[in-house]
Amino acid sequence: MQALLARRNIVAVGIIVFAILPTFANAYIVFVANLALMYILLSVGLNMLLGYAGQLAFPNAALFGVGAYTSGLLRLEFDLPYWITLPAGAAFATLIGLAIALPALRLRGLYLALATIAFAQAALWVFGHWNSVTYGGAGFRVPPMDFSPLPLDPSTGIYYLSLIIVLVAVPLGWNIVRSRIGRAWVALRESEVAAETLGIDLTLYKAYAYVISGLYAGTAGALFSALLGIVTPESFDLFQVIVHFCMVIVGGIGSLWGGVLGAVILVGLLEVLRTFRDLQEIAFGGLLLFTVLVVPGGAIAMIKRYLPGWNEPLRRIGKKR
Amino acid sequence: MSKLIVSDVSISFGGLKALDSVSFDVKQGEIRGIIGPNGAGKTTMLNVISGINKADSGTITFDGTLLSGLKTNKIASKGIGRTFQTTKLFKGMTVLENVMTGAHSRLHANPLSAAFNFPFVAKEEKQAADQAYEVLEFLRMERFADHEATLLSFGQQRLVEIARVLVGQPQVLLLDEPAVGLSVTRVSEVEELLKRIRQERGITIVMIEHVIRLVMGVCDRITVLNSGQKIADGTAEEVVNNPAVERAYLGSKVDVTD
Amino acid sequence: MLAYLLMSGIATGALYAMVAIGLVLVYRSTGHINFSHGELFMFGGFIAYTFFVILGVPYFLSLILAVIGGFVLGVLSDRAVYRPLIKAPPLTMVLATVGFSFFLKGIARYFWGSMEGGDYVAFPAAMDPSPIPIGSINVFPQQLLILAGAIVFVVGFTIFFRMTRAGKMMQATSENPTAAYLSGIRVERVYTLTWGAGSAIAAAAAVLMAPMTLLSPDVGFQLLLKAFAATVLGGLGSMPGAIVGGLLVGILESLGGGYIHSGVQDVSAFIVIIIVLVLRPAGLFGVRNIRDT
Repeated sequence: MQALLARRNIVAVGIIVFAILPTFANAYIVFVANLALMYILLSVGLNMLLGYAGQLAFPNAALFGVGAYTSGLLRLEFDLPYWITLPAGAAFATLIGLAIALPALRLRGLYLALATIAFAQAALWVFGHWNSVTYGGAGFRVPPMDFSPLPLDPSTGIYYLSLIIVLVAVPLGWNIVRSRIGRAWVALRESEVAAETLGIDLTLYKAYAYVISGLYAGTAGALFSALLGIVTPESFDLFQVIVHFCMVIVGGIGSLWGGVLGAVILVGLLEVLRTFRDLQEIAFGGLLLFTVLVVPGGAIAMIKRYLPGWNEPLRRIGKKR
Repeated sequence: MSKLIVSDVSISFGGLKALDSVSFDVKQGEIRGIIGPNGAGKTTMLNVISGINKADSGTITFDGTLLSGLKTNKIASKGIGRTFQTTKLFKGMTVLENVMTGAHSRLHANPLSAAFNFPFVAKEEKQAADQAYEVLEFLRMERFADHEATLLSFGQQRLVEIARVLVGQPQVLLLDEPAVGLSVTRVSEVEELLKRIRQERGITIVMIEHVIRLVMGVCDRITVLNSGQKIADGTAEEVVNNPAVERAYLGSKVDVTD
Repeated sequence: MLAYLLMSGIATGALYAMVAIGLVLVYRSTGHINFSHGELFMFGGFIAYTFFVILGVPYFLSLILAVIGGFVLGVLSDRAVYRPLIKAPPLTMVLATVGFSFFLKGIARYFWGSMEGGDYVAFPAAMDPSPIPIGSINVFPQQLLILAGAIVFVVGFTIFFRMTRAGKMMQATSENPTAAYLSGIRVERVYTLTWGAGSAIAAAAAVLMAPMTLLSPDVGFQLLLKAFAATVLGGLGSMPGAIVGGLLVGILESLGGGYIHSGVQDVSAFIVIIIVLVLRPAGLFGVRNIRDT
């Protein structure tokens, strides 16, 4: 029975459910599922930086916002199609991610956290005050995506686009983690000195983590702007940062699949609490606190303890030796 | 021929001179010991060789190439491996994965090639895994391959750390107190292991040690440091009978039958 | 104009300094940054609000009650969040205090948020708000009160640290917890005391600030950022640094807002943090990491 709940099975079922969802669920459920897909993307990327590489950095929500703003603005101002705006948004966010990485590489621990928080807040300020470009505090509406010649209405189109992107991006991420890059990240997290003596170039690998998580965040942001149809600064504030972190922590820090799980759990929670904003904060804060105090390994740690088939080796497992 | 040449190396921390014009050489295939009372600068010496600290003056040459001034990871990829006094195994990885990490500089995957599973990536991963397993077999630790590395006993972790450094196929191994905290039987095993490493893999070893029995049994030549200065250098017999060495250890005779 | 801006900057700077002191106090003692420090500040303000506005208690009494309340809240934080995680890696503490900050913020919003429709509550003036002309500038009485309050607290603190037994125990524990423990000091009690004290001073700052600006549950994070800017500028771990840093941030903000653009006020804290960390992470009076993580 337990073997039935192995990861590959659960994931397979999940993929099937997500794939056929629009055929039987109402628009709201599809919207929430789409949000979940987007957050899965984000959380996989963040986990690489925060979990695997152990860098206490908070630029994520800002990069998410950069992706959303870039993609949305390109659509609004220049009426470009989605297959240009989405990659452009992702690419620009990645670039900004690299830009913050450069100074961030020299900082660690607390200083890194403070600097990246400051950056995130500064980005938010720019979103809200650069009126000539970003439309300031009011934000702007993004014209719906046009998926012609495919016979898809915008919301179904964006849903399947998100699904395809996730189905590509998650395995890619999984491959990265199961290679010398993943091992190098864990090594530099655990002991920078030891990692160096094994030939690992700390600067390079930290940069990889920043850039890749920026790419994932930016892509998620671009999708977000298309999904929501409006882009406002509030969507990328401090609370977003907490939500992102919650996903990674509650799901399981340092575990790619934990991140996936965390995204799904938290999107569910977010939606359930949507009407009660104060409860949202209490719930998320409390959940974060609870996880850190009681279940530091996150949900995935519990699952790994009781179910087989959820291991996450940092290498490719071929045929048995 | 000399594999490693340490020439007039000095380094100070704050006002304290940790190493004062220390020079010695290490021949290919030699096992060289560095001993001395606490605070003599032994670990600092290894740190300077491996690039963790930069010397204020002096040079370190390896096979003719200048090492001084290079970054630690560059030095490591040139073939200098190192273990630490406090074992630094990586938490969150199995023993095998820890050892595989040692092969890092011999692999070539980057995020792009890894993400898209270029054929060479799978191949080199398998190779690294096989080599790691092989080294674990060499150390008779292969049954722990899939154990969570940090759950092993202290002695076992030390062996895994050695495996990790060996899989990088270094030419020179810098060991910081390989026998620390080990029982008498274990020390003999370490003695055997070091000899095998030298014999079967042709690796030159430079080791810091306090366990005199091990040093006497295995080292071809010994350098003695005291307060950052080299006070003796030679074979085990020469060093044992050197009065300066006796004085350094507070007048107590170095007991070979320890 | 300059004098006015300076006065205003010094007053706000004094507040930032007080909040920063609370932060540095906990950091020096325990080696951790309390990311919920801003919310402790905010709660102090709301506690005072409850007494002053809702219950009609006189301002100064409300201030004292808020300080006591802040102290209690700080002690609770220690028990609930810090104590259980005393051995955990720094990341865990950050996450725990962040989570706690949101928890507190949500609670504040729940209880006080809808008081006057919307999150902001107005804290009425504590005294006749008309400005007093001093020399050529008009000074607001509340500003004087802030300065007076800040001085009283800072001086009080210094005395407490240098003269009282409890203060000396706190100093000893922050320098060398093992030695302190071995000499019989109840290190954990000291930590609790520290958390309480840090929170108390933040609460005081909130109550002093409240009549001049609006109070809202979100105010905590804003102040936290200013406090970060102050401590980073002054040098993480340095008490005098926190004071100087706080004053400087306040002045810079005020001048920037007056001469450049009012929006600069919001963003100056981040700019300070980023510039300092990139150029000179140790800050002005940089003290090396007390705890090497």
